[in-house]
Amino acid sequence: MKTWLNARNSRAARNTRAAFAAVGVVTALLGVPPALAGTYDLTIGETTINVSGSDRTALAINGTVPGPTLRFKEGEDLVINVTNTLDEDTSIHWHGLIVPTSQDGVPGLSFDGIKPGTTHTYRFPAQQSGTYWFHSHSGLQEQSGVYGSIVIEPQGREPFRYDREYVVVLSDWHDTKPEKILANLKKQSDYYNYNQRTLLSLFDEAEEKGFDAALADRLDWGGMRMTPTDIADISGYTFLVNGKNPEQNWTGLFAPGERVRLRFINAAAMTYFDVRIPGLEMTVVQADGNNVQPVKVDEFRIAVAETYDVIVRPMEDQAYTLVAEPLERGGLARGTLAPRDGMTAEVPGLRPRPLLTMADMSHGDMEGMDHAAMGHSMPAAEAPGAVEPPMSGMDHAAMGHGTMPQADGPPAQQPMSGMDHAAMGHAMPPASADADPFYAPGSGLTPKAANGGKFLSYADLKAQRPLYEVREPTREIEIRLTGNMERYFWSINDKKYSEAEPIRLTYGERVRFKFVNETMMTHPMHLHGMWTILDNGNGKWNPVKHVVSIAPGTTVLAEVEVDAPGRWAFHCHLMYHMATGMFREVIVEGGPQAAALN
Amino acid sequence: MPVQLSKSLAFALAFSTIAGAGVALAAGSHSGGHGHGPAIGEPGDGAAADRTIEVVMSDNYFEPEHLTIAAGETVRFVVKNDGEFLHEFNLGTAAMHATHQKEMATMMEHGMITPTGIDHEKMQMDHGGHGMEHDDANSVLVEPGATKELVWRFTADTHLEFACNIPGHYEAGMMGEIDVTKPAGSGS
Amino acid sequence: MTLLSKQARLPAALAGALALTFLALPAEAAEMDDQIYTFFQLDQNEYRLNDEGEDLYAWDAQGWIGTDYDKLFLKSEGEYALDGEWEKAEVQVLYSRLISDFFDVQAGVRYDFEPDPERAYGVIGLQGLAPQFFEVDAALFVSNKGDVSARFEAEYELLITQRLVLQPSAELDVAVQEVDELGIGSGPSGIELGLRLRYEITREIAPYIGVHYESDLFDTADFTRDEGGEVDAVSFVAGVRLFF
Repeated sequence: MKTWLNARNSRAARNTRAAFAAVGVVTALLGVPPALAGTYDLTIGETTINVSGSDRTALAINGTVPGPTLRFKEGEDLVINVTNTLDEDTSIHWHGLIVPTSQDGVPGLSFDGIKPGTTHTYRFPAQQSGTYWFHSHSGLQEQSGVYGSIVIEPQGREPFRYDREYVVVLSDWHDTKPEKILANLKKQSDYYNYNQRTLLSLFDEAEEKGFDAALADRLDWGGMRMTPTDIADISGYTFLVNGKNPEQNWTGLFAPGERVRLRFINAAAMTYFDVRIPGLEMTVVQADGNNVQPVKVDEFRIAVAETYDVIVRPMEDQAYTLVAEPLERGGLARGTLAPRDGMTAEVPGLRPRPLLTMADMSHGDMEGMDHAAMGHSMPAAEAPGAVEPPMSGMDHAAMGHGTMPQADGPPAQQPMSGMDHAAMGHAMPPASADADPFYAPGSGLTPKAANGGKFLSYADLKAQRPLYEVREPTREIEIRLTGNMERYFWSINDKKYSEAEPIRLTYGERVRFKFVNETMMTHPMHLHGMWTILDNGNGKWNPVKHVVSIAPGTTVLAEVEVDAPGRWAFHCHLMYHMATGMFREVIVEGGPQAAALN
Repeated sequence: MPVQLSKSLAFALAFSTIAGAGVALAAGSHSGGHGHGPAIGEPGDGAAADRTIEVVMSDNYFEPEHLTIAAGETVRFVVKNDGEFLHEFNLGTAAMHATHQKEMATMMEHGMITPTGIDHEKMQMDHGGHGMEHDDANSVLVEPGATKELVWRFTADTHLEFACNIPGHYEAGMMGEIDVTKPAGSGS
Repeated sequence: MTLLSKQARLPAALAGALALTFLALPAEAAEMDDQIYTFFQLDQNEYRLNDEGEDLYAWDAQGWIGTDYDKLFLKSEGEYALDGEWEKAEVQVLYSRLISDFFDVQAGVRYDFEPDPERAYGVIGLQGLAPQFFEVDAALFVSNKGDVSARFEAEYELLITQRLVLQPSAELDVAVQEVDELGIGSGPSGIELGLRLRYEITREIAPYIGVHYESDLFDTADFTRDEGGEVDAVSFVAGVRLFF
């Protein structure tokens, strides 16, 4: 049941219910148009897969990894039965879907989870369209294979067209069970780093910049007890395209001249991918399920849990390789677009692994503070000229609650200092390929297109149609992304989930989250239940997302219209970061459904 | 700055070359169709139009998306922008559109056009001695809410496209096909 | 303690300490991010042959069980001469609390089964990662006789390649007052230096070879000399570092 291979003509599908039946998951269509309603059955259980050369037990949805593509229609009333055949609790979260809090699928917040041997029924309307996905929100099950894709057909015409479409689920598979991986990281946080600087690499560095400089650089990093090679927490992954490894080579067919819509979903537990199709330009038309003004790129970086829809138009009768290269270059995910099955194109070699720079250590400020001397992460807002100087110190201390101080006035009226840096999105697009404002200037992580062309920046994302009126945020909440690399736990504002009080929001307010990344990892932050409006300097066209990725050494602003009452999860979508504490409960109080909360 | 200057210079040169090429093509077809490229036709006289075709621009597509026109016909295109973004209606071949897309990208980069409109001041600025106005005879830029007309005489049977070459729009599918058929009553 | 031979008591003490660690902590973690993990490492697990032709087995182990902030540590080191004599055998059981990004403060007890006479100590210490990646462990000991001593240990992992690691280590013991029965003089009493080259087949299993030097210092050296012992010794070592 390789549903992702069911390429279909979008126009034909637009007007027919048959498309749903074509997707294997749909077991029954109770409702008859115009009263759209569909019932879907999912079963979570164990299966055996082999993507790494040896058989391993995976957790699968309806027997496959990834699970099926669920195809919904905007406006459809959905009934989804999820049966748990595991001997542990499970759950399904509808990533990016706006659903009532009770249907969001987060054990402990939305419901109690799905007990072994039972079936849980989710009911909610599909009130949006686009590309999304779903995954387990229990333990570390997602890493073991509990994820699938969602495509919601819009009611109206889309602002782009295509002749054919494919869902492209990128993911990472590890032969070691996720619980064991986490235990290994707790024992030794660099357990999986086999790309460390060594005595031998010191000679290379010395050759490059002179021995003194190479040594001084080592001492700089050593002083912080950090390493520039710390790009990814885990190595040894096999990277998959729709569940296939590079040799198994997932292939999507096309006829030359056709427009092909590729719905990229990053369902990896821990891996950012740089995606390109050598020989083809990609036109990005949707990000996180929301249409964006089309932007032509040669390559884009997809953060964990993001989705990007692109349109490509291969004109030649030849194969094209779809390359998704992990940020840490520890292998690649590969697929092929071809006019006929069995055709392949050259698979490019891996580019050099990036190294972090001191810019990535700047803790979201531009002050160039000497962290080595401080020995401990200092909240950026304590820097001179910060937006809320009186508050930040308090926040750093143990206040015993996780909510952040409220700015006294509209934050925008306060003078912006140098520390509110480039990532705050001046309206200008990056002047050159290596000046992405969403990376610290001089960052080692700044992406570059393999062909020297255009690499998508967050700054390029402009909503096709704004979802919300522009208005000033009613308050600002600072979210410092923090953690202890050495002991391998992650936190927000220096507190793990288990130590923190929920963030309390009030229905109807518009909150600005100020994300300050004080770690050297990139964190894809995901808020459940409500859209996140990324402030990338495009005003009313600021894109609406469900994941906002914050690079090391940067501060990123995002706004949320608080329009969904209930208890919601808010976390880093790197699975082991979420599991070790980079997680908050967000409680939205008041609003029309307040009474139903208890 | 040097980079920008050279960019605008390159743009201006490319632009004037293409504008010239358009005329040359039209002229070529006019004089018997023995030119190198396909004959896209020539600007027509509104008073002599055989028919009027209404084209509606939305974000980001045209309606209709397919036209059949007989060679020799003069068509008055009434192009209405119902969308929120700036759109173009440009008649040409796929190759011409591909070239024009690069020019439009440069114009966007220079702020002469924005996603939602035309900066007329910047558009009329003198760039290195070359006028940079978007004034091709085979094309109209239509701002949101506006309606413009373009009269065109199709001269030879060929396959053309009408396209919006605002960056990303063509690629997203904002284009339509024109089959220019042999003139009615012509033999072979 | 006459029921058990000295050789039997050491494993019994280890087992007891481990049992204690499990009892001391809640059976299940309330939160996903606050789970209990375990760690055990035989950093030194080696055969030593010294310049006097004596050979012995030596170990240096530590393990913990606990959460990110609170752990129960078990540390043990010792030497067993292959001619059948225990030279040193020490076990520490410590509560360990994370107090900064890189350091734990530790407190608990130490028991020396060897050398004679046996001693119990109270321990307070600091263990963690110092700038430039030096792993350090400093501890203050107060014996059941009221004697005070301290130990400073430092280790460095020099990666030659990703798997070939040179590990220099140093340990300095300092006594505040003379302990006649143990032949320890006041002041710096002993030093151990090691240099071990290991190859990590996996993180868990790493065979190594190296050299180990130890020497009594100052008054302690005098005591040793007076008793006709060797003040210092250089050993060739070969072993397997293990990690669970």
